[in-house]
Amino acid sequence: MVFLLRRLGFYVAAFLFAATFNFLIPRLMPGNPIDTMFAQAGTALPPESLDALKATFGFLDAPLPVQYLHYLGSVFTWDLGLSVKFYPLTVNQVLLRALPWTLLLVMTSSLTAFAIGSLAGARAAWRRGGTFDSVGAPGALMLQAVPPLVTSLLALSLFSISLKWLPTGFAWDPMLDLTWSWASVSSVLIHAVLPVATMALAQIGGYLVTMRNSMINLLGEDYITLGQAKGLSDRRLRLVYAAYNALLPALTSFAMSLGAVFGGSLVTEVVFNYPGLGYTLYEGITSRDYPLIQGQLLIMTLAMLSANFVADTLYILVDPRLRRA
Amino acid sequence: MTSNRKALVGLVVVGFFILVALFAPFVAPAGPNQRVARPHEPPSAEHVLGSTRMGRDVLSQTIHGTRTSLMVGFVAGLVVTVVGVAVGVTSGYFGGRVDEALNLLTNVVLVIPNLPLMLVLAAFVGEAGPLTIATIIGLTAWGWGARVTRAQTLSLRQRDYILASELLGEPAWRIILVELLPNLTSIIGFNFIGSVLYALITEATLEFLGLGDPLALSWGTNLYHAQETSALRVGAWWEIAAPSLALVLFGSGLSLINFAVDEIANPRLRTLRVPKRILAALRPVGPAE
Repeated sequence: MVFLLRRLGFYVAAFLFAATFNFLIPRLMPGNPIDTMFAQAGTALPPESLDALKATFGFLDAPLPVQYLHYLGSVFTWDLGLSVKFYPLTVNQVLLRALPWTLLLVMTSSLTAFAIGSLAGARAAWRRGGTFDSVGAPGALMLQAVPPLVTSLLALSLFSISLKWLPTGFAWDPMLDLTWSWASVSSVLIHAVLPVATMALAQIGGYLVTMRNSMINLLGEDYITLGQAKGLSDRRLRLVYAAYNALLPALTSFAMSLGAVFGGSLVTEVVFNYPGLGYTLYEGITSRDYPLIQGQLLIMTLAMLSANFVADTLYILVDPRLRRA
Repeated sequence: MTSNRKALVGLVVVGFFILVALFAPFVAPAGPNQRVARPHEPPSAEHVLGSTRMGRDVLSQTIHGTRTSLMVGFVAGLVVTVVGVAVGVTSGYFGGRVDEALNLLTNVVLVIPNLPLMLVLAAFVGEAGPLTIATIIGLTAWGWGARVTRAQTLSLRQRDYILASELLGEPAWRIILVELLPNLTSIIGFNFIGSVLYALITEATLEFLGLGDPLALSWGTNLYHAQETSALRVGAWWEIAAPSLALVLFGSGLSLINFAVDEIANPRLRTLRVPKRILAALRPVGPAE
């Protein structure tokens, strides 16, 4: 419990740090992002209107500490202001619209990669030096060297453009009204195939190697030898004795990666024009929509921190040794 | 290391790309921005990897791009490693308050999502040049290296020979430089190679998203221009394939070296047989864990 509370304190500190950073970046950067943002409007607008516009989007002409307090207040009331690009939508509305799509991609791809990677890793470790291991383990590492950018571009080029098997982008067929009908659901699923597959591919290698290495270290332990001496079946030894305990490191890397995958889904979303958080961030960046960009960074940090906290909690639940600490 | 086949293949691949980068103007058939062919020409004997929409030779562009890509990779990798090792060793050696403060900082850097943070930084800088990108990558990615180095330093710190040096009154900087760092070599090497790979991929991603300087010439900007001119939609796959293949090949080379380093440092993970005396020569003093 004490451990969890301490971790929680750390996450609050980390979030404050990120929020402060988020506040300082545009204000410390050379040039004035606020004027850049309104440059187009500025040519046609008298200064008073420009000031009114700045006020609408939440930019104050106050001293830095006052601005900071104001900013912190808005962060904790989760009032992230108006989006410039998607005006009159608020940043909250824009993010909320994009969130489900990213969640769909991140959850499906991570679970798939976790399942496949861990099973393959356990198998490689069990027959260490066997064919599967000698091909699978270095193969997995090579796979990690392949950027998601490359896999998604190649997959798009092959399956969507050359073979025309799958759609080239977006999350559903724009001709359809999105409802809970089979037509809509199947359209969403088909559009998710390539993004999910390329994101899963990028993660499988990591799980395979983590699982293999943690299981190899376990296989040398005395209790495995004892189990063998007791004449337990191979299957029981492998799954219950070794794999279950080896899952711990894999499990934490799973929860931790959820946060990272949020960032990683960005590339995939841009390549496939998938309307999730990453694509929205990209749009915000190309149109210099600073409130949107800042809101994005906050929500992604929050996702990463929550994922880490879940990982900590899981760890305590699964590993009884930690409960005493 | 040569007895390890993975390391050998990795070294050959990485060495090849370094040579290409060094001698780019001599090996490339044309200048990177020269118009030498008709738009979107498929690969042929004359233009081995085809041409872009601007009629530039894709092979030449890829060869010249190697310079910036490798430069960003190595510079950022160096920054990541130096910062990570400095923070990790200081934290692990001095302990106490220093350790607590640095460890907190490390953990914060580890939990803030890297890619979005970098995108935001790059967006605010605006059309970041290759060196700016390398710096941004270097400053956001050192957390992992610091954590690993700190752990290893903590364990080395308990050794008798460190205690002996302290009793002899050796200054901290000497203990760190002469007694600790040499024993951290394998971890530092592992960290460096991994960071170069990470930086290479990240640079390509940032450039592809259009956050870099579009006039810079790297595998990332090549991909960006291909995307901008809808190369894929008109079927000019070679324009995407060439920089992609270069990224994958170089990345795999680094990956193989890293795999070999990992096997040498942690003998339990080994699949290939390496003679014991070679291992003994390579293994750092003390257990590798």
